[in-house]
Amino acid sequence: MVFYAKRLAHMVFVLWAIATILFLMFRLLPGDPTIAYLDPSFTGEQRQMILHDFGLDQPLWWQYVLFLGNLLHGQFGLSFRQRLPVTDMILSVLPNTLLLTLVALIAAYAFGALVGALMAWKRGGALETIGIPLVLATRAAPEFWIGMVLLAVFAFGVGWFPAGGATSPGAVFTSNLARYSSADFLRHLVLPAFTLMIYLQGLPLLLMRSNMLEVMGEEFVIMARMKGLPERTIMLRHAARNALLPLVTAFALGFGATLGGDVVVETVFSWPGLGRMLVDAVSSSDYPLAQGAFLMIAAVLVTMNLLADIAYGLLDPRVAHGRR
Amino acid sequence: MEFVRSFGRVGREGFTMSINHPIKTTRRAMLAASTAALAVHAVGAQAAGSPGDKIRPIVLLSKPQASDPSLFQAAQLAAQQWRKLGLQVTVQVVSASEQNATVWNKRDKWDMTTWEMVGRPERSDPDELVFSLFNSSLADNGYDFVGYQNPEYDSLAQAQRQELDRPKRQVLVKQAQDVIGKDVPYIYLVYPRRSAAFNNTVWKAASIVTEAGIGIRNFWTFIGAEPLGAQKDMVLNCNNEIDYISPVRMDAIGSWVTDLVWDKLTRVGLDGEPRPWGADSFKWTSDTTMEVVVRDGMKFHDGTPITMEDVLYSFELPTHKDKTPQFFPFVSNIDSVKQTGPRTIVFTLKAPQASFPTTTLSKINLIPKHVWEPLLTGMTGKPDMLENFNEEKHVGSGPFRFVHWRNSEEVMLEANPDHWAAPKLARWILRIVPNQEATLGMMKTGEMNFLSLFTGDPRVLAELPKSAPQITVVTETDLGFQFLAMNLRRAPFDDPAFRRALSASVSRKLMAAAAYNGFGVPAGSCVSTALPFWHEPGSLIDGGDVKKSADMLKEAGYVLDGNVLHYPAGKKETLAAG
Repeated sequence: MVFYAKRLAHMVFVLWAIATILFLMFRLLPGDPTIAYLDPSFTGEQRQMILHDFGLDQPLWWQYVLFLGNLLHGQFGLSFRQRLPVTDMILSVLPNTLLLTLVALIAAYAFGALVGALMAWKRGGALETIGIPLVLATRAAPEFWIGMVLLAVFAFGVGWFPAGGATSPGAVFTSNLARYSSADFLRHLVLPAFTLMIYLQGLPLLLMRSNMLEVMGEEFVIMARMKGLPERTIMLRHAARNALLPLVTAFALGFGATLGGDVVVETVFSWPGLGRMLVDAVSSSDYPLAQGAFLMIAAVLVTMNLLADIAYGLLDPRVAHGRR
Repeated sequence: MEFVRSFGRVGREGFTMSINHPIKTTRRAMLAASTAALAVHAVGAQAAGSPGDKIRPIVLLSKPQASDPSLFQAAQLAAQQWRKLGLQVTVQVVSASEQNATVWNKRDKWDMTTWEMVGRPERSDPDELVFSLFNSSLADNGYDFVGYQNPEYDSLAQAQRQELDRPKRQVLVKQAQDVIGKDVPYIYLVYPRRSAAFNNTVWKAASIVTEAGIGIRNFWTFIGAEPLGAQKDMVLNCNNEIDYISPVRMDAIGSWVTDLVWDKLTRVGLDGEPRPWGADSFKWTSDTTMEVVVRDGMKFHDGTPITMEDVLYSFELPTHKDKTPQFFPFVSNIDSVKQTGPRTIVFTLKAPQASFPTTTLSKINLIPKHVWEPLLTGMTGKPDMLENFNEEKHVGSGPFRFVHWRNSEEVMLEANPDHWAAPKLARWILRIVPNQEATLGMMKTGEMNFLSLFTGDPRVLAELPKSAPQITVVTETDLGFQFLAMNLRRAPFDDPAFRRALSASVSRKLMAAAAYNGFGVPAGSCVSTALPFWHEPGSLIDGGDVKKSADMLKEAGYVLDGNVLHYPAGKKETLAAG
């Protein structure tokens, strides 16, 4: 219990530190949130009005106090650009990003774990000879390039999938559930998820392979062989299961990292997601939206980290987190 | 202040213009005065004849290459020419927002910058650009960000604004361009040529029309586009997020939508001239009064008729400057609006304004009083602005009705069959597509059937019909222009002779061909060739001869010493590089 309480306190501290850095970072970056208004009619007086409206005419420390106060109430404030609640704006695109990330990540880890295990098992075989360079190449290839190639082939070439957006133009749904479970949404999800998966599969695959190689030399595998168990059983039931552990951590961390790093895939496929919103917010000096989006990603990352720690303990009771 | 003026007199000819005029007592003016005072001492101290100080290294601000490859390339080419004149020029790449913030809010902190004025339908009247860009009253924090000050120009700009006789106004607008042509506050580059495209198997080609200086993405195309087959939805693209859809606010892309959802009394026609729309007619009854007969039988999308009260209220609401600061300037010249007959209203202006039918009547959206009055009342006494208000439901009266707006995804409108100019298409769906290359593929596959803008390589788009004959590409010279701006507050740019020499070393024709791949028309003034009636062709002085520029500098007293350009005799460098 003490462990969990400590971890939780640690988490809160990390989030506070991130929030503070974010607050300062955006205000120190060059740029000006009133720039979006530039027009022949724009005057200095108007600029002052806008700065006042944004609260940017207040001293920095007071802005910081207000910011923290709002955060404690779960408020990110209003976006400078659109004057909409940041929470609403983030929530309107978050499901798109979460679904894209989850689907791609699960696919990448399932594929990576299986093929990684197989490569280790058939060490030196044809699969490994061809597979390793291929994996390294896709891992090193830029996401946008993979995305554009997939677009050229599957959208513009054979025309199996749409080239952009999360739903067809003008599609109307009765509810969010209907939208996210519709065939239309899933069809639009395929290419971006596939791109992200290709990009992500390298890490779990290589990790799994090296873990397996290590595990395969252990005594319990030799024991299983001596017992005369079928190869498949040994590989999947005994070796792979034990080699899977580090992948759990990688998955949890990968989730947080991918969430913020989806911006390339989201741009290539015009996917309405958090990454694009974040980039737009930063480039237009929309401090509240950028802070909110970054904090959201940080919160997910920190939470996933905690979950990984907990899951680790459950999957492998030997990991006791210093409990006595 | 007297010091400044006297310096103006002792200074060389070039100096006189920019300094020898009344300066407001601001902090900046005080600083300028003290700088000038130092310079005056320097004049006394130095013997005439020996060259002045070395000109500091000049910094030219530019957005990253990716955000506008042509303009970036143009900046590099110009810098290259200027280096041959003995200047040390660095092109410094900054983000768009940093560039804006520096140029706009730190007005005495930069030397040169790349810049663009974009084309918009209301700029079909030259007034906005001619009046605002070089107006000394806007130098401190308005649109005259380069700090150009010339009383002669100010009065010309004011005169054209007030001249209601078209031919006479034309003369004034051309004179204004000539003055700028001589004083060179900007180094004009090109009027960009922009391409858009449509699918000719979905839309009848003859129903897609071109608006002067705007292209085929215009109001008249959207209400007139005729579907040829079963596909009756127009699916088009934009590349950026929409910030606002509001009838009392401007937004780069949001305005495409407000234009269709809300009606106005006039609209800018294909020829760039205002024509009656929500009005049956409009006419000047004196220099400062305009009579408008409002069209009968107009209805809002919620079914209520547009009353004369709604029309009057539409012009009254923006007068609340603290609630609608963006729209306030459009009505600031209106002294009163009164109903004088069952469908007649009379606008009385504070001063004559020739552009009124374009810059005000075609700009102010007709809004329902029953929706906006309670909102305004609710905000009175609060710091909130009405222009920041996001409506749940948009009630306009235009040819299209609002259906939905999904952040980062799309805006959807549907045809309003009850409108007197009901569109022929069924739904207008604006997709936000940040991937420019993908838009071309989408046009080919039919996912999109109207390409409203393309910021990629224009040559690729121009080639598209060869492999996809169903696509028709239309290219139009833009109302806007791209240029290199100089900060006239800072030496050596305060000297017109220096500016002229710099400008003369740049060949616009070469620029249009090399940096813009032919997708630009050499520019010499702020009035585009897309407006042939107002454009002054004589304003274009195509240069490119470095030798000639060097001679111009020499004549103005600048000295080339060991490949480094020096100020004329007695002039000190008072600024640090950058």
